[in-house]
Amino acid sequence: MRIDSIAKLSQWRQECQAKLAAQKRKVLVCLGPGCLAGGSDEILEEFKRIVAEKKLADISVEAVKKTGCHGFCARGPLVVIEPEGIFYSKVKKANVAEIVETTLEKGKLVEKLLYTDPRTDKTYTDYKEIPFYARQERISLRNVGQIDPDEIGEYVARGGYAALAKVLTEMKPQDVIDAVSQSGLRGRGGGGFPTGRKWATCAREESDIRYVLCNGDEGDPGAFMDRCIMEGDPHSVLEGMIICAYAVGSREGYVYVREEYPLAVINMQKAIDAAHECGLLGANILASGFSYDIKISRGGGAFVCGESSALMRSVAGEVGEPRAKYIRSVVKGLHDKPTVLNNVETYATVPVIMEKGADWFRSIGTEKSTGTKAFSLAGKVRNTGLIEVPMGISLREIIFDIGGGIPDGREFKAVQTGGPSGGCLPADKLDLPVDFDTLTRAGSMMGSGGMIIMDDRTCAVDVARYFLNFLVEESCGKCVPCREGLYQLHKLCVKICEGKATENDLALMERLSKVIQTASLCGLGQSGPNPFVSTVQYFRDEYLAHIRDKKCPAGVCRELITYTINDKCTGCLACIKVCPVDAITGEKKKLHVIDQEACTRCGSCYAVCNFDAVDIV
Amino acid sequence: MKYQFEVIPSKCIGCRTCELACAFAHAQNQKPGKSRIYPLAYAPDKYVPVTCLQCDDAACVKSCMFNALRRNEETGAVELDKERCVKCGACVAACPFGCALIDDVHDEIVKCDLCGGSPACAAFCPTKALVYKRV
Amino acid sequence: MVHITINGKVVKAAEGEMLLTVLKREGIDIPALCHHEAIEPTGNCRLCMVEISRAEWEGWKKHVTSCLYPVEDGLIVNTHTPEVIEIRKTIIDLQLANCPDSDVIQKMAEEYGIYKTSYETVPEGDNCIMCYACTRICEVLGKSAISAVMRGHKKVIAPPFGEEPPDCIGCLACAQICPTNVIPWTDTDSTRTIWKKTFDLITCTSCGKAVITKDFAEYLMAQRQIPKEYFETCDECKRMATARKMGEIVTKAQEAAL
Repeated sequence: MRIDSIAKLSQWRQECQAKLAAQKRKVLVCLGPGCLAGGSDEILEEFKRIVAEKKLADISVEAVKKTGCHGFCARGPLVVIEPEGIFYSKVKKANVAEIVETTLEKGKLVEKLLYTDPRTDKTYTDYKEIPFYARQERISLRNVGQIDPDEIGEYVARGGYAALAKVLTEMKPQDVIDAVSQSGLRGRGGGGFPTGRKWATCAREESDIRYVLCNGDEGDPGAFMDRCIMEGDPHSVLEGMIICAYAVGSREGYVYVREEYPLAVINMQKAIDAAHECGLLGANILASGFSYDIKISRGGGAFVCGESSALMRSVAGEVGEPRAKYIRSVVKGLHDKPTVLNNVETYATVPVIMEKGADWFRSIGTEKSTGTKAFSLAGKVRNTGLIEVPMGISLREIIFDIGGGIPDGREFKAVQTGGPSGGCLPADKLDLPVDFDTLTRAGSMMGSGGMIIMDDRTCAVDVARYFLNFLVEESCGKCVPCREGLYQLHKLCVKICEGKATENDLALMERLSKVIQTASLCGLGQSGPNPFVSTVQYFRDEYLAHIRDKKCPAGVCRELITYTINDKCTGCLACIKVCPVDAITGEKKKLHVIDQEACTRCGSCYAVCNFDAVDIV
Repeated sequence: MKYQFEVIPSKCIGCRTCELACAFAHAQNQKPGKSRIYPLAYAPDKYVPVTCLQCDDAACVKSCMFNALRRNEETGAVELDKERCVKCGACVAACPFGCALIDDVHDEIVKCDLCGGSPACAAFCPTKALVYKRV
Repeated sequence: MVHITINGKVVKAAEGEMLLTVLKREGIDIPALCHHEAIEPTGNCRLCMVEISRAEWEGWKKHVTSCLYPVEDGLIVNTHTPEVIEIRKTIIDLQLANCPDSDVIQKMAEEYGIYKTSYETVPEGDNCIMCYACTRICEVLGKSAISAVMRGHKKVIAPPFGEEPPDCIGCLACAQICPTNVIPWTDTDSTRTIWKKTFDLITCTSCGKAVITKDFAEYLMAQRQIPKEYFETCDECKRMATARKMGEIVTKAQEAAL
């Protein structure tokens, strides 16, 4: 069906809404990355099978839907029953029959699948009341987890493409740019560059061709916001891109998606095809005379291809290496033409701004960081998952109120924001408001939104070592400070972890870091030493403990720790069985002993002991 | 072209002064360069100083892929820009007169540059077999 | 024409000219390993970094690679500040760890007072400084027979799949331009081997001395319309032939005069 007028779009929206309203009951099965790994695709099939078999009055097979990521990954696989919003967590295929029978047929709850907050012991039925969800405000994630990403009709029913219609009929390109500028929207990819200013610069450039690109090359370990948007609500990204293209006068663009996100590629392609078919993409969009087309460009998964100039070279089919940017890519980008490159989340936010207005958007967040930001919570936090919160919220609220705090009775130690090239912030920074400028001032950065939470069993030096290793692997190798500098920085960090370093080495690392930061060619290199710089800033004592005392206070660095068995040992033999090098001796019901010479400090005994009898010193 | 370099073989006595003058005129680091001019005997006791003819449609210029050979309109010489030369040897192979060559001592390609407008060979030629003059 | 201030001295430069070109013209010693006039600058080695600022920046300054920075009016350039020296020294120090056997790097390090690297010597170091001069010069020839493959510290310059590069013409431009001389090749009387590919050399029809590879000659014939016979003899024999030819003319002229 081709939608060639605004009237037709409204009519179609009403039809879509009516169709959804006719579905009294809906089962939404989360097919986000986490739940999918937990087998939610099988759960979906099982629901469909049983619902089809039972022929229930209130629910049809069509009303059993797959959705994108619902967010609460720690509790997945997730199933939500609408309209009540009944939230079933940790669902197994075997539970499906029971859910159908109890909830869909009898209208009762399957208590054991409901979520109970471990801190308050309160059990929740409606997911909207769960603290994890209650504190969130979803703009870019507005549809993720709520709609079937393959159905353009569901996106339209929820107001999709209304912003585009408004822009094409009521606004001039400059009006769009002004609205984005006034909204204060800043790039969600990490840099935080004002989006409106970027668009204005591109539009101002004299050129016959301009490109509008979307950066979906989310490469930070532990970050999956863009993935979830592309998988769960691809049309919002397309709509944002089309609006941008109209504003800057572009006729073609690309979505750059990394090859490691196969489902994102599939869903984005389906969305592009569907939008094409409806006349919402391609030639003469909504019969406005404006044409814009989008192609998907698949990246090989190099971290550096998230950097704008490397990304553009990769799209052009060249080796994904950055170039020096004394001329900005917004002026000379893809094929040397003016190019707007924004991140997935930024584009997903744009339609809402167009619809609700710049002032509304400004009213959320802080003065200089307006709106909301999506984060993925990972690491040592109870509620790992995908969230979206207003800017200016404190780290404490994110980690403790939404994230549910640190599991296993451990203490919070640090949170890493901004990906590998971001930084680690310690407990005394927990009350900092999360916005672009505050995080940068604190020595970290907003980044694309990955948050890795660490507990007191995490060693700061080891964390730096891990992320430096990642960056050494992912450095493109073009310029010397990044290629050789990070390589040597990592070597020195390993030396500290092994207890072989001196204080001179630490001084050398600090000097080297400064040079890498100033002399590297691209942002990846310039921020490359950050894992070291930010940990040494906040956890210098820990570095010195490794160097002077040859101790790892967190009990992580193998060369500097010993495992011993204390008198809580019951002599259960469990550790003896699990030790891969037979370093533990002892008889049943007698204290076991670890032979330190033979021990490889793998930690298996510690993990297996049920009596806290293994100490790490 | 304002100047012309003229070779008059009948006046050449094969004394090789031009060769010495050229080598010293192109000395670097106190080492003489390779001469860009060759007084060769075409018959017993008959000599001709062979050097670059600064061809109008020069094969060396055409063969250089890096644009390192360009004509100096002032002196008329085809000059080699050492900063651009990669020493690939294309000009050496392409010159039909064998007048671009490799200087092993200084590790570079050399050819006559008319000494930037005052050729040493002509200045030192005792018989005026080499003449650089305004035309 | 623009005016820039280099180390306190006002200098004229052409608009759009790269800063390094101006600095070199002014006789300022700026180290640069990846720079060559025949190729486009890429800023790999980072040695030519200088500090720039402008009067209106109010003391704010930044460090840029001068090979890639187009001059603009009012630019204030400082080439030897303590920060710049620190950058250069650190980079040379890192290169020394990476290329312990390169005399070019050793010499450069000594100039900066580094006699031993502060870092651990890279075990797999092969003296290649990854400046891309070779791949860039090959690109100028329109061949791109070799390129930088892999990434990060594992990056190497190699032909496709490490096999004989089909597009290589054996011209040696890559080996010649290499600042650390690490691209090996071997010549016999009639063949040349580079990048594991063996080429036939054209040998002089009169003395047998090698001229250039057949592929390179064919390339120049096709690209630049150089006649085939120009490549058939060596430079020495061509000079001798020239002498004979000129002699003939002289003799004829003399005979005619008689």
